[in-house]
Amino acid sequence: MTAIAISGAEFLREHLRARMTLAMLVVLPALFVLVSASVLGEFAKALGGSVAGDSASALGAGWAAAFLAGALGFFQVSSSRGADRRLALAGMGAVRVAVARISASVTLGLLISLVAFATLLLAAGVAHPPHAFAAILAFALIYIGIGTLVGSLISDPLEGSLTVAFIFLIDAFSGPGMSGGDGIAQLMPTRKAADVLIAAGAGQGSPTGDWIAVGLAALGALALATIAFWLSARSRSS
Amino acid sequence: MTDTEPILSAEGIEKGFHRGLPPHRRLVEVLRGASLEVRRGELVGLVGENGSGKSTLMKVVVGLLERDGGTVAREGKLGYCPQTPLLWEKLTVDEHFELFARAYELGSAEATAASGALLEELQFERYRGYRIEDLSGGTRQKLNLALALMHTPDLLLLDEPYSGFDWETYLRFWEMSERRRGEGMGILIVSHLISERERLDRVYELSDGRTVEA
Repeated sequence: MTAIAISGAEFLREHLRARMTLAMLVVLPALFVLVSASVLGEFAKALGGSVAGDSASALGAGWAAAFLAGALGFFQVSSSRGADRRLALAGMGAVRVAVARISASVTLGLLISLVAFATLLLAAGVAHPPHAFAAILAFALIYIGIGTLVGSLISDPLEGSLTVAFIFLIDAFSGPGMSGGDGIAQLMPTRKAADVLIAAGAGQGSPTGDWIAVGLAALGALALATIAFWLSARSRSS
Repeated sequence: MTDTEPILSAEGIEKGFHRGLPPHRRLVEVLRGASLEVRRGELVGLVGENGSGKSTLMKVVVGLLERDGGTVAREGKLGYCPQTPLLWEKLTVDEHFELFARAYELGSAEATAASGALLEELQFERYRGYRIEDLSGGTRQKLNLALALMHTPDLLLLDEPYSGFDWETYLRFWEMSERRRGEGMGILIVSHLISERERLDRVYELSDGRTVEA
């Protein structure tokens, strides 16, 4: 096995050994899909939107994946910055540390998405399962990018996790089916993934343009995350 | 066993940090032309008061911090033991050795032999399967030191490496350092204990951002 593969496996193990992570992995998707689906409908009504029923359940799974991925992305950077930098200095190099970190993050994102998708499938069912899974995965990958970027800029755990939560709330409540989704809401990172997920929940397909936008947002977020990991592992000026 | 050519040469190191927010942002100059040298087979001390910039100078020399001015030249393999153990809380002692063995590009047999010898030398074999979060401060510090030593560096930079050690381990640390000096390793130790000066070949004192050979 290469140094990157071994490091990536160790970084992944590090997160899966955290009891709180495992608990959240099970609890959050269930909470968002089962409980939030109806609450989401009420919120949407209050904000002038219309998301409800199966679409709301599907969107709940996406938001569960996003929230978990964002939090884990943030803590991957903030809790390991010093040790990662030491490993890079020891000869691994900042690029290889960043690649190992992003491979662990993508694996975590896949795992989170699978759990959220399975919860959705078991609890509410979904008309377009492949579409729904792809959109949920996009939610997770986009929030890995957001979490790691925040982690590379803000080192304090409280300030950083609040920032991720703030971005999440703005994103969630300005999304399609919630506050109407016009204006700046069009620019929110999960906008198109939410469109695809709502459509999948309602048993409809999505236009090719939406899929391209979802793919670009997910790939852009992963590129951003890789840069954030690299910035955290290299020598710094202060 | 000292060479005339230094294995580490740092000259005129300058480093400052910006503090505060505009319009009250100011530059705090920590290092203002600090210089030092370490040769093979030499045990050199870097002393100074708390906050004098010893750790900053060490980080600049190691390459963890970018410098504002001056030059650093190093030769051979570098080992670095930071003041605060930089470890992953959820990984075990053995997993740390494995990660660093990969970073140092040690072969499997070489890595096993090196980690085994250090576990025995620092007497913490029984903790090799423990996660870092379950270790005492002293045992974390032993691992912190062992990771800097496992590839037998030519130049070893230690930033107060014995904080948390009990007396026995503290004495063993100095035995280890002196033995490695005898084998030709160049060692720079950050310390603030005057009592340790007799163990050192040379001592630099850092004051007002500059070093003076004491």
